[in-house]
Amino acid sequence: MKLLDDEKIIALFEERNEMAITETKTKYGRYCNTIAYQILQNREDAEECENDTYLDAWNTIPPTRPRMLSIFLGTITRRISLDRLKRKTAEKRGGGEAMLSLHELEECIPSGKSIDDAIHEKTLAKLISDFLRTLSEAESNIFLRRYWYFDSIDDICKRYGYGQSKVKTTLKRTRDKLLQYLNQEEVYV
Amino acid sequence: MRSDKLQNAIGMVDEDLVARTEKTTQKKKTRHVIKWTVPIAAMLAIALAFGIFFGQGSPFVPTAYALAEAEYPDIPKYPKNYHDEEATWAWSKAQRERAAYFGKAEGLDSFIRATVPEFLINAEDGNLVYSPLNVYLALAILAETTDGETREQILDLLGSKDIEALRENANALWNANYNDDGIVTSLLASSLWLRDGFTYDMDTLKTIAETYYASSFSGEMGSDLYNKQLQAWLDEQTGGLLSEHTKDVKMNIDTILAIATTIYFKASWENEFDENHNTKDIFHAPSGDITTEFMNQSNAGATYYWGENFSAASLGLEESGAMWFILPDEDVSVDTLLQDEEVLSFLSTKNRYEWQNKKRALIHYSIPKFDVDSKLDLIKGMKNLGVTDCFDPFASDFTPLTTEEDKLYVSKVEHAARVTIDEEGVVGAAYTLVIVTTESGTTAPPEEIDFIVDRPFMFAVTGEDGSILFVGVVNQVG
Repeated sequence: MKLLDDEKIIALFEERNEMAITETKTKYGRYCNTIAYQILQNREDAEECENDTYLDAWNTIPPTRPRMLSIFLGTITRRISLDRLKRKTAEKRGGGEAMLSLHELEECIPSGKSIDDAIHEKTLAKLISDFLRTLSEAESNIFLRRYWYFDSIDDICKRYGYGQSKVKTTLKRTRDKLLQYLNQEEVYV
Repeated sequence: MRSDKLQNAIGMVDEDLVARTEKTTQKKKTRHVIKWTVPIAAMLAIALAFGIFFGQGSPFVPTAYALAEAEYPDIPKYPKNYHDEEATWAWSKAQRERAAYFGKAEGLDSFIRATVPEFLINAEDGNLVYSPLNVYLALAILAETTDGETREQILDLLGSKDIEALRENANALWNANYNDDGIVTSLLASSLWLRDGFTYDMDTLKTIAETYYASSFSGEMGSDLYNKQLQAWLDEQTGGLLSEHTKDVKMNIDTILAIATTIYFKASWENEFDENHNTKDIFHAPSGDITTEFMNQSNAGATYYWGENFSAASLGLEESGAMWFILPDEDVSVDTLLQDEEVLSFLSTKNRYEWQNKKRALIHYSIPKFDVDSKLDLIKGMKNLGVTDCFDPFASDFTPLTTEEDKLYVSKVEHAARVTIDEEGVVGAAYTLVIVTTESGTTAPPEEIDFIVDRPFMFAVTGEDGSILFVGVVNQVG
């Protein structure tokens, strides 16, 4: 099958042409499904989140015009899947790599302030982007594969050809650095 | 839970940071293992086939052996069963990693714009085929072996501001276009052929091996064995499609280095032609009408493109790029198209699908089956494009390659290519050979359009990233 250029797909969304959904599914279906499954560990749930992603994109474009369609869609899938996971795990614990990574991230939360002082998520995202740019590309990539894509340690090792201990150590050091950075910036989550 | 918030914020970090995780920069090192092995079994087999024993160090017996062999990425195969999740994910992941390189290379557009008219004009009554990607990679390796003005001239032609940018561009092109997933075969290879006992700068050879996935061989220049070995390597990498040309390939006693790059491409049409719909029709060649076999199909969702002097349409290739047919208007020649700025823009743009003059239509394609090939000497064209010093032993600078000899020059830039199409799809192959020598030697109701390719035309085969893998001029078919 022929994969359309992203610009072409975005143009279809803008023209309100329903082929936009078909083309998006053809090109990025597996990508979105992989992200959703990584979070939910359930085939049916992942499929529903994938479909919700297309609907969300349909409702968002226009007026939004994605700069990178893949990451734009992945971000939607990630958010929708995490929401679903939270609903599902409200009753019981579990939830695979996403929940594991959530526990790991608790290490990065500065202590001592009340929720009233909490920073807005978008501002926090900007600060984390700035923080990631202070790291080497390899460190930043390992961090995002773990906490953006929820890849398992094993998957990260395979992707980059590293050993388990290197990946684990890099993640631990990066979490420590992030905590230090957030403290230094006087950020309270 | 506050870590929730951190998790959400991580989900909103800058897109470029997330996108670059798809690249596997670290993995490339493991993908591309350079094995320094002297000699290797494969070369021994070649030697035995020609009844010659290896005699490394002996002045009486020709030598030939592999110094380093590039190991190419092991691409997960396209899943036979969609429900085989592990296979589907492995394939999907590898293809996404490849897609991360799409559009990253700069400079190829200007290279295509300059070289296509230069190399393809004046086909007269014959056919010419050229692989810009293949020549680009050969010249990139040549740039690595040169310095000063010699290198600058090559960099200018390749559209790269410096050697580091060239390495990034070449690497992106290589990774975007190398695929062997069982659906698409798009194999790129390169090699260096060195003279036994000669001193080379090992850092340069290592850079070339790592950046361009080049294997290295060493042997006695001018010997039959070494020439046969080069021919065998070219045949192996091009699937034997160019054996009519490779049999004449030779390095001579004065050769210091031969650079060889190859491409082999095979893909099926998204919609295969039905042989039962083939017709015998007239192709209006410059030398007179020819009756030949045309393949026919109609596509209601196709896009028809046009410019002042041409019309064009493409046929999609399964899980890959497309083949573009660029048909001059009836009173226009192919050579006129090759000098037409609008056509060159159409050919060189990465956003061909965004061309201004286009419309959706029901296109009735009528395409002649063809098998075209050519061998080109690129030196004159390269000189016309400003690359002169590497051909002049008194002006050239090959110091990154060696300091043992100072009067080195490029004595040959040979490019052979072949493209064949039938009801199933496209097969193409090309090689470029650069010889460095020392001077001491030498939606509404669709409009219906009949797209009948019954007169000389141009074609281009594009990879999934839009790069032009092959471009050609066809005057004769059948």
